Amino acid sequence: VRRPPTVTGVLAALVVVAVESAIAWFFLGSERTTDVVMLYLLGVVIVAMRFGHVPSLLAALLGTASFDFFFTTPYFSFAIDNAHSVFTCAILLFVAFVISNLTERNRRHALEASRAEIEVGHERLRNALLSSVSHDLRTPLAVVKGAATALLEGGDDLPAARRREYLTTISDEASRLNRLVRNLLDMTTLEAGTLRLRKELQSIEEVIGVALDRLEDRLAGRPVHLKVPPDLALVPMDATLIEQVLVNLLENATKHTPSGTAITVAARAASSGVEVEVADDGPGVPEGEEERVFDKFHRASLAAGIGLGLTICRGIVTAHGGAIRCANRPGGGASFAFTLPGGEPGSVRVLPEVDLSEADYESALNR
Amino acid sequence: MVASPSSPAAKATSPLVLLVEDEPPMRRFLESTLADHGFRVIVAEDGQRALSLAATHNPDLVVLDLGLPDLGGIEVTTRLREWSQAPILVVSARDQQADKVAALDAGANDFVTKPFAVGELMARLRVWVRQASRVDAAGAPVRCIGDLRFDFARRLVFLGDDELRLTRTEYRLLALFVANAGKVLSHRQILESIWGPRHTEDAQYVRVYMGHLRRKIEKDPARPRYLVTEAGIGYRLRTE
Repeated sequence: VRRPPTVTGVLAALVVVAVESAIAWFFLGSERTTDVVMLYLLGVVIVAMRFGHVPSLLAALLGTASFDFFFTTPYFSFAIDNAHSVFTCAILLFVAFVISNLTERNRRHALEASRAEIEVGHERLRNALLSSVSHDLRTPLAVVKGAATALLEGGDDLPAARRREYLTTISDEASRLNRLVRNLLDMTTLEAGTLRLRKELQSIEEVIGVALDRLEDRLAGRPVHLKVPPDLALVPMDATLIEQVLVNLLENATKHTPSGTAITVAARAASSGVEVEVADDGPGVPEGEEERVFDKFHRASLAAGIGLGLTICRGIVTAHGGAIRCANRPGGGASFAFTLPGGEPGSVRVLPEVDLSEADYESALNR
Repeated sequence: MVASPSSPAAKATSPLVLLVEDEPPMRRFLESTLADHGFRVIVAEDGQRALSLAATHNPDLVVLDLGLPDLGGIEVTTRLREWSQAPILVVSARDQQADKVAALDAGANDFVTKPFAVGELMARLRVWVRQASRVDAAGAPVRCIGDLRFDFARRLVFLGDDELRLTRTEYRLLALFVANAGKVLSHRQILESIWGPRHTEDAQYVRVYMGHLRRKIEKDPARPRYLVTEAGIGYRLRTE
């Protein structure tokens, strides 16, 4: 749909008309004026379709002028000595203009239609996003508001168990809201391209530990198996972000498996760097969905959340130069694994045992 | 603003908390909660007021929000530390990681991240109240934390009944944590204390040694009970 600049179009019009004139001169001759006219019209159509309105108008003018110059008597002159030729020239110019205008109008319509289509697409996406986000934000808010007002109005008449239930609801929903806002913020940062990695050599075991700690409540009642070899090398990463990847993967597992289902977190040395896997014994990912689960706003069910968690994981892992993939385990259950490239060999130095004097040491402790 | 006069007699009964928070809803909420948990509370809505209240009332604990409108929380921490040893607990948002580290380096003792559960905040405050009430414990020759027993005089560490075989560095690292039990130590503070001021940027030293140490004292090194990771900030020896 994009058209070349007008200068190119003007040059093209010149070339097309020159080539046509040559063809007409050598192959058609002044006897077959009808064919020559047709040839010039064809040129206008080509230029109009390819280069737009102004070049095609020029092609129309130049074509008519060339016809007049080469193919009407007296030859090699713009003068015309008979009414028939005047008529032919006028018709040629007129038809050429009409063709040029029609082609241009067609082009413009096509352009507008495709723009409108894109616009509609954007609009639909924006609406879907807005409605999904506002639904996801409003639901916990409505629940919090409802439970809080019930507590206020019920006062001391509410049985203790009911009161406790409302309070638990408020706390849980507030946590959910917090997670949603965090995901939205993370997504915004990722999309805006303003994500700055603060990479340091980190122990993946430590980062996994922190992620598991953060999710202690949500993982309650689930066996969590940890498989981290003790001699795994430190890997450069932004620990806060990789922690978020692990939190999102673990949350994803808790959302899509029945409570009590075991989750395995494993880390292993990969060809370069480490691979980390979060796997569960749940129902797994539907066949053919393995790639789509990472798409923005993709969700398995309405209750599953906003559909950003895994998208954020992919964004963060990709920013680290790693890759993330989803697969079903041979024995059942879903597996999400990501890789983080290692640093240059030798970047993890062997640490010096301290050799401070006792006095230094005591003063260090008493700081 | 003062819940009750800070007479020496009242002070002996319940600790005085200086609450520094600029957001009114958060301030009201924390004030009530602290009072309900038996603290006496004085409230400041900005850094200047916090410093002058601290000077006049000499609080036992400071709960300090990092995002203050005038002086930053870090500045307040630095200025307080010029004359006061009262434990400072920093309250901050998730995206203020760098500020948290700076506040710890400036002398803050601990932090909680918004949103937090009241129970967590109170547990931290109680640790610091206990800590402050037994300043002399730090000089004691033997110290027990959970199943860990430190015999400073003989330079021995026991886990249950077993003596731990620690390298020189591991012992010093662990001793540093015991001396600062409960306090979050930033990577920089640890590096400076153990490896000296020239190594303050080499956080990977600490990570590797923490790994070694955990393998010796933790039942599950990946889910530490004693040496807890404070992500992006440092470590803490958990006492509770």
